Amino acid sequence: MTDTWAFDAIGTSWQIDTTLPLSSDVRAEIDGCIDGFDRTWSRFRSDSAVSQMAERAGTWTLEHAAHLLGLYDELHHITEGSVNPLIGRTLSDLGYDAGYSLTPATRPADVPAWTNVQRSGDTITTTQPVLIDVGAAGKGLLVDLIASILSEHGIDQATIDASGDLYHRGTTPIRVALEHPDDPTRAIGVVVLEPEDALCGSATNRRAWGDGLHHVLDARTGRPTADVVATWVIVPHSCMIADGLATAHFVAPPETLLEAVPHRFVRVHADGTVTWSPDLPGEVFK
Amino acid sequence: MRLPRTRELFAVTAATSALLMTAACGSDSDSPTDDATTTAAPTTDTDADSGSTASSGDYADGTYEGSGSYANPGGVSEVDVTITISDGKVSDVEVEPGASGTSLQYQQKFISGIADEVVGKSLDEISVSKVSGSSLTSQGFNQALDQIKADAQA
Repeated sequence: MTDTWAFDAIGTSWQIDTTLPLSSDVRAEIDGCIDGFDRTWSRFRSDSAVSQMAERAGTWTLEHAAHLLGLYDELHHITEGSVNPLIGRTLSDLGYDAGYSLTPATRPADVPAWTNVQRSGDTITTTQPVLIDVGAAGKGLLVDLIASILSEHGIDQATIDASGDLYHRGTTPIRVALEHPDDPTRAIGVVVLEPEDALCGSATNRRAWGDGLHHVLDARTGRPTADVVATWVIVPHSCMIADGLATAHFVAPPETLLEAVPHRFVRVHADGTVTWSPDLPGEVFK
Repeated sequence: MRLPRTRELFAVTAATSALLMTAACGSDSDSPTDDATTTAAPTTDTDADSGSTASSGDYADGTYEGSGSYANPGGVSEVDVTITISDGKVSDVEVEPGASGTSLQYQQKFISGIADEVVGKSLDEISVSKVSGSSLTSQGFNQALDQIKADAQA
């Protein structure tokens, strides 16, 4: 890869590495895709569809809802309710709000039951205002959407890096360091991504703003998780699924998740221990 | 846009999965070892010379075996404990995680690696083309956090 296009989108840093510079048409298409995604799914902008859903009950059609919320349906089932996209209001009350107040309310809202929301394809019907947060898998979906655009334009050598959520396509594998949760100058291990592999990492330490407060909630308790501090998941072909599973690893044991979806993982626990799957393509430094 | 179909993928993988329905949490197998050793330790320290009440005579010399179970998030696991008593004192303690089927399979199938307190390596020491981590997160979030810290110091 010789060319790098770096930009900021959906509140984080992106980098797309390709062998040749992307044409302005392709870049414009990617920009448009990101903008459309943000206008629909970002709870950090007041004009988004999900922000409108937080104002009143009703019926809404959201692009990619079937795909994205379909994954949430599965994760909600697998984790017995711990993964639930309706954590938005609670996260916001805890301080992770559109203005980044980072100031928790005395009584954060409870997480509404996901089963109260009716969905048919991309159309969602609510009976009360709800604040959807797709933080568990939304970024991964956007990576997949961009990978699709590159594919449609015949660009088969590319690595998309959305600050740790990676999709790699090409003819040769790449080596990726797993950043130490407590020290960004160190790696706890290295994994090898084959072409068409997606890798997603999630950690609670950096998006933390107070005593035990961070952005990964267990929807059943409505409070941040505590046992796991960092996870990585590798899945072929889908950054969205890798992203969702990386979050699910904070709230469910590995065997439950592996039973539902084969994948490779590394998880770092709060006590400092690290566990990883037997078929991890890489190593954890002991 | 062409995307992998999640539901189908889940359905297929779930149907073909030969993985365990239930399993104990292999990562917790160290805990009972520590507990059992800790429990046994005071007995070891009970030196006859100290005049302690729990001295020789309370236990006959020999080798004792026992097993116990403990609950963990993944289910119930078992440990086997072997204690050797010589001259009325514990001279040896061996604790083995019970090689129950689920526990063993769990370790082999789900977790091949368990490491305590990984130190890791400096990024300078390893050759990689990418880093996956959390150091690059939301700029807005980081700015807000910096502002709050600054306000707190003011």
